[in-house]
Amino acid sequence: MERPAAGASYQRFPRVRIRELRDEYAKFELRDTDASMANALRRVMIAEVPTVAIDLVEIESNSSVLTDEFIAHRLGLIPLTSSAAMSAMRFSRDCDACDGDGSCEYCSIEFHLAARATDSGQTLEVTAMDLRSTDPKVCPVDQADAAGDSRGILIVKLRCGQELRLRAIARKGIGKDHAKWSPAATVTFMYEPDICINEELMETLTLEEKQSWVESSPTKVFDIDPVTQQVTVVDPEAYTYDDEVIKKAEAMGKPGLVEINAKEDSFVFTVETTGAITAYELIMNAITVLRQKLDAIRLQDDDGDLGELDAHLVGG
Amino acid sequence: MKDGRLEQPLYPQECRQGRISYSGEFKVEAVFQFNDGAPIRQTFNFGHLPIMLMSKLCHLRGADPRKLIYHGEEATEMGGYFISGGLERLIRILILQKRNYPMGMVRGAFIKRGAGYTDKAVVMRCVHHDQSSVTVKLYYLQNGSARLGFWFAGREILLPVGIVLKALIDTSDREIFASLTCCYSDKRERGKGVVSTQLIGERTQIILDEVRALSLFTRTQCLVHIGKYFRSAMEGFEKDDYETVAEAVIKDYILVHLQNDNHAKFNLLIFMLQKLYALVDQTTSPDNPDALQFQEALLPGHLITVFLKDRIQDWLQKSKRLIMEEITKNKSFQLNNSLEIRKFLSKYTTSVGRAIETLIKVGRANSQSMLDLPQREGMTIQAERLNFHRYISHFRSVHRGSSFAKMRTTTVRKLLPESWGFLCPVHTPDGEPCGLLNHMTSICRISSCYNSEGAIKDFQKIKDKLLVELVRGGMIPLLPKMEHTGPPEILHVHLDGCIVGSIASAKIEEVVNYLRRLKLLAHPATPEDLEVGYVPLSLGGAYPGLYLFTSPARFVRPVKNLVSLPDGEPRIELIGPFEQAFMEIRCPDGGDGGRKKEFPATHEEIHPTAILSVVANLTPWSDHNQSPRNMYQCQMAKQTMGFCGQALKYRTDVKAFHLQTPQSPIVRTATYKKYHMDEFPSGTNAIVAVLSYTGYDMEDAMILNKSAVDRGMFRGDIFQTECIDLSAKRTENVPEIFAKSPLSRDTNNVIDSDGLPRVGETVVPYEQYYSIYNTLTGAIRPVRLKGTEPAVIDYVALNGTNSKGSLQKVNIRLRRKRNPIIGDKFSSRHGQKGVCSQLWPDIDMPFSANTGMRPDLIINPHAFPSRMTIAMLIESIAAKAGSAHGKFIDATPFASSVKEDGENRCKYDSIVDELGPMLASYGFNHHGTEVLYSGLFGTELQFEIFIGPVYYQRLRHMVSDKFQVRTTGRIDQVTKQPIGGRKHGGGIRFGEMERDALLAHGASYLLHDRLHTCSDYHVADVCSLCGSLLSATVINSDTQKKSKRHMLGLNTVRPAKNFACQACQTNKGMETVAMPYVFRYLAAELAAMNIKLDLRLSNRREAPPSNESC
Repeated sequence: MERPAAGASYQRFPRVRIRELRDEYAKFELRDTDASMANALRRVMIAEVPTVAIDLVEIESNSSVLTDEFIAHRLGLIPLTSSAAMSAMRFSRDCDACDGDGSCEYCSIEFHLAARATDSGQTLEVTAMDLRSTDPKVCPVDQADAAGDSRGILIVKLRCGQELRLRAIARKGIGKDHAKWSPAATVTFMYEPDICINEELMETLTLEEKQSWVESSPTKVFDIDPVTQQVTVVDPEAYTYDDEVIKKAEAMGKPGLVEINAKEDSFVFTVETTGAITAYELIMNAITVLRQKLDAIRLQDDDGDLGELDAHLVGG
Repeated sequence: MKDGRLEQPLYPQECRQGRISYSGEFKVEAVFQFNDGAPIRQTFNFGHLPIMLMSKLCHLRGADPRKLIYHGEEATEMGGYFISGGLERLIRILILQKRNYPMGMVRGAFIKRGAGYTDKAVVMRCVHHDQSSVTVKLYYLQNGSARLGFWFAGREILLPVGIVLKALIDTSDREIFASLTCCYSDKRERGKGVVSTQLIGERTQIILDEVRALSLFTRTQCLVHIGKYFRSAMEGFEKDDYETVAEAVIKDYILVHLQNDNHAKFNLLIFMLQKLYALVDQTTSPDNPDALQFQEALLPGHLITVFLKDRIQDWLQKSKRLIMEEITKNKSFQLNNSLEIRKFLSKYTTSVGRAIETLIKVGRANSQSMLDLPQREGMTIQAERLNFHRYISHFRSVHRGSSFAKMRTTTVRKLLPESWGFLCPVHTPDGEPCGLLNHMTSICRISSCYNSEGAIKDFQKIKDKLLVELVRGGMIPLLPKMEHTGPPEILHVHLDGCIVGSIASAKIEEVVNYLRRLKLLAHPATPEDLEVGYVPLSLGGAYPGLYLFTSPARFVRPVKNLVSLPDGEPRIELIGPFEQAFMEIRCPDGGDGGRKKEFPATHEEIHPTAILSVVANLTPWSDHNQSPRNMYQCQMAKQTMGFCGQALKYRTDVKAFHLQTPQSPIVRTATYKKYHMDEFPSGTNAIVAVLSYTGYDMEDAMILNKSAVDRGMFRGDIFQTECIDLSAKRTENVPEIFAKSPLSRDTNNVIDSDGLPRVGETVVPYEQYYSIYNTLTGAIRPVRLKGTEPAVIDYVALNGTNSKGSLQKVNIRLRRKRNPIIGDKFSSRHGQKGVCSQLWPDIDMPFSANTGMRPDLIINPHAFPSRMTIAMLIESIAAKAGSAHGKFIDATPFASSVKEDGENRCKYDSIVDELGPMLASYGFNHHGTEVLYSGLFGTELQFEIFIGPVYYQRLRHMVSDKFQVRTTGRIDQVTKQPIGGRKHGGGIRFGEMERDALLAHGASYLLHDRLHTCSDYHVADVCSLCGSLLSATVINSDTQKKSKRHMLGLNTVRPAKNFACQACQTNKGMETVAMPYVFRYLAAELAAMNIKLDLRLSNRREAPPSNESC
């Protein structure tokens, strides 16, 4: 990468290419930007995209084996569908309608749970499906398995005669405050590798040597073409930068057999969500949040000392 | 004793709840007979006898898990302890000298017995069949003679051995001479197995001369001689003749395990003399009293039996004294009046029950004599249920005796090879009790009076049958005289301390093998725990012989016997530490131990882990760790916060720790499953990254991932139970009850209408949570929550009422949240403890590019090089492979050595070679490292990071229970300095060393601030004329003025006080001086001793001449 001369613009035009997009999984490429940008996006996705989670629990009756706090904690960790969290809902602390006590329709959703085990033969499993929401838009995420059985997340098991009755209030929040508000199960990115095999040197190897060299990588990056018996790169992104193949080449007495460099401006993102929002929403909301944060910096300093950044944000 | 069950059974849980003892009525049926009258049977109430849980009298005996749960117990309740005052206490297993074995000892203290004594003696702890014991010592004198010593009425009696020999049986000097010298023959001078020298003849002569010098020739004369000495001291023999007294002394004090068999006693005494002389002539080595070979255990049942016997004897004596007094006082008293007798007998009965209860409650065995026990106090300990490791360790611990704890020498603390397989070399605490408090290995047992079917053993029958088998095997029985020869030609056969015969040394190995064979075949003559202690002939080694033991209280452990039986299966044999020393036991881990083919192994260890205790066995791959780390882990495992029990809801422990979300370790040993540790898990599989990331992980600090903690990692609670007993607290005779104040302003909604808290309510500090109503004054006293953190009312139990039926006793259990915070202590299973230094945000943690995994916990790599806990690294790799593969990994130590012997020979040289390909097959690096990216910058970290799941435990030491902080607060009344102590809100002492540090820095202002301004700053009025600090008095001249102003409604501005010196009678020269208040206190204290402290102020005026005294 060339460094621009002093005073020149650092502006770049990042490109995004989505490779795979499912409800709770996304894989995309981010190009023409640097690690700070990629990492900022990752950090925002994990910690600053708002979702809704149960925050306040009023227990009316709990004769289960678990303590009140334990149940409240478990309830908090249940992912709730929070598409509305980004824009439609308010943070309780900012809510004008309820003076910030967090119990109005703009900033909270009430849940009710009442369960009592009456069957002496078996234990009653109280799951997230037993939570009754006052808002149809916000409800526990449907954890349907492959067979399509939606059983819900287990909260507590009740024996005959035990009872659990409670009222819970869900609020908007971000993962920075508590992990329960984090919409991301996993967000990670890797530098796209640039793998370059020295074909000449490679041809000096026997088939067995090639085979053992290919197998030295714990992940399947290289393979041998069954026809031409040439070593090919089958999955460059499987490479974990563990240098195993380079070490192997050195051990075989062929240093420089392969050269692998990380492309410093290309990243492959993997995003998995808890189900609270879709992966698409997560990415888009993250960008919005990032934008808002930068806006906040700009507004802080209207004198325009950050001219460079300003120009970058406005896009010109 | 009668089965003391009540109509309504009282269950252990109710006893714990009510803080009472789990005991039964203790009734004794006494039979007394007056002269030849009809015997009268009467029962006496002796109070209460504590009942051991799961014992025959326990209500829970034989209960299935369902019933146990119904009664509020653990489903896996094992019993074995007592409940005393609501606390679970158990009797500590103490080490005692091996019973009925004459031990050759060399001890400097023996010289102090008197003039002419040497440091050598043969000591035998003789145990009567009722488990009471008398130790006899046979001392060697410088002149070649010997003295028999035993404790009698608080002092040691020393009898010339010749008198005892003659008093035992009708014998002649010639016979004694012959028996003693038989083991010596001048044909052989020195050789293998020769124990006697020619000196024995002269020594025998001396012994006999001693007796002759006292002109004692016949048995009767000797008995009279002994009887004269003892008659006045023997209780109950005052009117008997000397012979009867002497017979009683011989029966009750000399070699008591042989009871009335004087011939056997004679033979044994002869043997002891021979052994003593062999010890003196160094033809045999002394026996080491610190070696487990010569030790056994004091069992709870035996202790109680012995103590009970002593107490009942005491009761009889006391009652007798009462009756005697009554007879002298009251002439009309009739001894045959059973009602009268009963009155006196029942006077002291309850003291017996009470003594047993104190034994359990405080561990003190109150008795006139020592009862031949090593200690009187500390006989019981509390079984803390902090976690299962700690709990089980209490039952497996063996203590050497509290008297050794004070000893300067460390010899008793040494780990000796004799304890191999019986006591764990790893599991002993470091520090003060190191080596004294040991733990039995997981396979070690203690023999008891019960056989494997649970029936009481008939020891007499076993002995008789065993004798028959011995004779069949080739033993020449010796009845009644000892054979006139000795080692090395023939070896004596001892059966539980009685010489029963002799076997030619050429045939002895055959007999030993025959006995072992019988043991394997479960022959009725040989109980499964029979100890065949064959001491072979040697050159100056242990005294040879065949010592057989069937007695209870011996340590035993199973090993494989390699003898091939008809069915070819290797059998398990129980062996004891005495015989083990002379056996050839192969260990799969140790090869042949350098013994080659000459001494082929006859036995084999079942598994090399047999040498480890239960807790030490739970450390994964402990064979890869540096040994002290395994010791630390044993300590720390006992401090972990885990599941203390499934029946937590019914527990009333003063403090119970509970981990909310424990996990089963991915890497575990075979023992983990065997002991069902999943019932009581104690940690979490945390993803641990080993790197230096922020600097917050220096010096064993560790960084926790805040999000992981948010999601529940290491979350826990503390349960504290308070027992409130109004009837116990009451000072004056005013009944108090629980009640709520009718006035709403006096109360809050935590307190329910009955004056007790509502379950589930949160109480904040200083908030009232229950209230007490005084029925006399009508005052309601609310009780406020102590401490600085809120608590939740977890449980309220009503325990008891007074006679009027009003509630008096309740248990309130409080629950306090203990989420991990900075300063909490954690540890892996390899003695690697650390303190949480930061709860680091998830996004700042390093992450793995391909999995996106962020570590839960970061530790510093410096934790490894010096500590060499390789097993922790292996655990990380194994757990990573195991979690990827979805199965638990077996981490049993020494497993590879066992595998090599079997058919499925281990394919790999090391565990890492085995696990590496497994990791690689899931796309991980062979060695458990990963490329991580900085969470802050998103750039690749320079080096590959070792990361993987490691089972981490949370230790019970938490800052919330320890932190101490103070700005202002209570001060000491006398010195006006801040008080100390966390409980009272005190500060931490700023001591001399701290002061030195500030002085060295020249931080004088800070020093002044700490030691003066923030402490006892005081402005004193000093008279500069007389220099006195104490003579200043206030002149209240303006009192009238002030009150006038007050009446006029003017604000009372306090005028400056006027001071005058009492001594000088003037206020001239009064000055104010700032000083620490203690200085003034010092002046006052000195004044009390008539010393005047004279201050000379710099602006001192001309003072009248004073008599300066300091």
